[in-house]
Amino acid sequence: MSRLVVFTLLAVLPAGGVAQRGDWPMPAKDYAATRYSSLSEITGANAGRLRPVWSFSTGVLGGHEGQPLVVDNTMYVVTPYPNVLYAFDLTREGYPLKWKYRPPVDPNALGIACCDAINRGAFYADGKIVYNLLDGHTVAVAAATGKELWKTRIAELSQGETTPVAPLVVKHRVIVGASGGEFGIHGWLKGLDLETGRIEWTAYNIGPDSEVRANGGTFKPFYDRGAELALTSWPADVWKNGGAPVWGWMSYDSSLDLLYYGTGNPAPYNPEQRAGDNKWTASVLARRPEDGTLVWAYQFTPHDSWDYDAAAEMILADLVVNGRPRKVLVHFDKNGFAYTMDRATGEVLVAQPFVDVNWATRVDVATGRPVVDSTKLTGASRGNIKDVCPSLEGGKSPASPAAYSPRTGLFYLATNNMCMDYQATQATRIAATPFIGANTPYHAGRGGNLGAFIAWDAAAGKKVWQTPERYPVWSGALVTAGDIAFYGTLDGWFKAADARTGKVLWRFKVGSGVVGNPITYTSSDGKQYVAVYAGIGGDWFLLSGDVRSDDPADVRPPADFMPDIARHTSQGGIVWIFAL
Amino acid sequence: MPPAGSAPALENPFHGDRQSAVEGERTFGAMNCDGCHGGGAVGWVGPSLRDGRWRYGGSDGEIFQSIFYGQPHGMPAYGGLLPAGAIWKVVTYLQLLEPPANVPTQSWK
Repeated sequence: MSRLVVFTLLAVLPAGGVAQRGDWPMPAKDYAATRYSSLSEITGANAGRLRPVWSFSTGVLGGHEGQPLVVDNTMYVVTPYPNVLYAFDLTREGYPLKWKYRPPVDPNALGIACCDAINRGAFYADGKIVYNLLDGHTVAVAAATGKELWKTRIAELSQGETTPVAPLVVKHRVIVGASGGEFGIHGWLKGLDLETGRIEWTAYNIGPDSEVRANGGTFKPFYDRGAELALTSWPADVWKNGGAPVWGWMSYDSSLDLLYYGTGNPAPYNPEQRAGDNKWTASVLARRPEDGTLVWAYQFTPHDSWDYDAAAEMILADLVVNGRPRKVLVHFDKNGFAYTMDRATGEVLVAQPFVDVNWATRVDVATGRPVVDSTKLTGASRGNIKDVCPSLEGGKSPASPAAYSPRTGLFYLATNNMCMDYQATQATRIAATPFIGANTPYHAGRGGNLGAFIAWDAAAGKKVWQTPERYPVWSGALVTAGDIAFYGTLDGWFKAADARTGKVLWRFKVGSGVVGNPITYTSSDGKQYVAVYAGIGGDWFLLSGDVRSDDPADVRPPADFMPDIARHTSQGGIVWIFAL
Repeated sequence: MPPAGSAPALENPFHGDRQSAVEGERTFGAMNCDGCHGGGAVGWVGPSLRDGRWRYGGSDGEIFQSIFYGQPHGMPAYGGLLPAGAIWKVVTYLQLLEPPANVPTQSWK
């Protein structure tokens, strides 16, 4: 074994695990959240010959967000509620199941989850598959046998908390969070012990410094000064139901020992009920995974008036910015700006719009604050604010994570070209019911196409190419050393594109709209495979109107901004595997 | 849950009353029903309540009991939060929503 191979193996080895180079052991493949694979069998010269080699119906109709894992010739698939975990044997013909795990999950979670009963996937560490059940539990299951090793209640349905987020495991800590920005939760992050499941620490995203774990000596945000920022940026007691959920993706830099994650929207959507910046909603937070200590934080959208969650992934890369090599974090926010930040300090280096944006004219990197167009500020007393871009689905959804190729130096992502009208209303919090206070119909942005797949230069803050799509694009991205970028569309096409030009080289109709994230791996036969879920859902369970066919007592009109989506897709979960 | 068959015996005291429907619509918003069932009850994460079709029955008493006791899959019990009269006005609001023509075919050109 060459030294290079040894180095590569070490680089992708999860804590205590046995993952190999061709495995996909965690949601974004690596701790830097790149969704990049060094596999290169599939190239521009042969991608046109990709073909399906296997498929499996999960038996579940909910939105199939997230992605499979592949470790040691086994594929692990978590379904949406009721959160079945399947383990497929990739060494045998037809990939039969080795086992399946069917946990009990409280069906009441279906009424507490804001936006379909989705799950964003599992994490492999130390021979365990760790993931969250929708009803507020984290479980660890033995990867070899499917035996439940521990189960810990981490969240409270009665307070509006549900748990579709994928955990991140750093050494012996399992990091988890909860959804509920639409239910007025008091958002938090927790660290569990990998061996026992015991909750070792809880760090709130809003509230007093003691609960936020912002200690005077160690908490050093780049732009903000002073103590109790997550308390004084709120009216008294309002922060207790102020949101800041954790439902996106996490990343980790081992040399800095910093864990990065984004927080969701402040609650309610009517901003007049929560004067102030509302820290740390719509923010990125950098913490020590061992004990949750907050090291820095930055708020992308102060006093968010448009439901611009910052739950999207923070991709870690080394880029040359303004002539200087920098260790950066790259984040594509719902608010339409792409941020390139110094990940050691939280300084914003570049912030440019990657879609049409009109709620702010620019981000002032000297102050870190967006320059807001006051005519786009919302509130119950301000009436119906017309044509805000992007819509609250985001310029890019946090549900559809981007990919980064160190070969091209580019980021690849699914984007939405939608704007909205925003009528805020007074909201009343009733525990475990929605706490929203806004009506926000959407319309297509400039050009009429509802989405696009794009390549982005994060050092320059510029779009390099884009492929317009008829519908919003809601899948994650994958990019490989063969310089192929993969993504799926809402009308059910799975596509392979040239990573340098964007040219679509191959596509296949996968049976339902794609809201999941493609992965690639090698099996024991040495071949390169690509896997993805089909199964429209998530927000599109709410917004697509008539793509549901399972309930004779629930018939909906077509979505007004994309009335023919149901012509191309219905719900239904399928795992697909492709190869040359 | 009450025994099956007991619900239809209940009658809506405000049946068809427009003013009660207006009050019921206000309650539908104030109690966050629209957060799950959508503005105008067109369906969201919870099912449509204006398509003329009912998962748990559409009689006066069946709708009342779905609201009062809750239903599986996340419909909370509002019996402890709202007086019976307010629930009946929500029932009145839902019953007066104009359902679309119940045409089971959707076609495209």
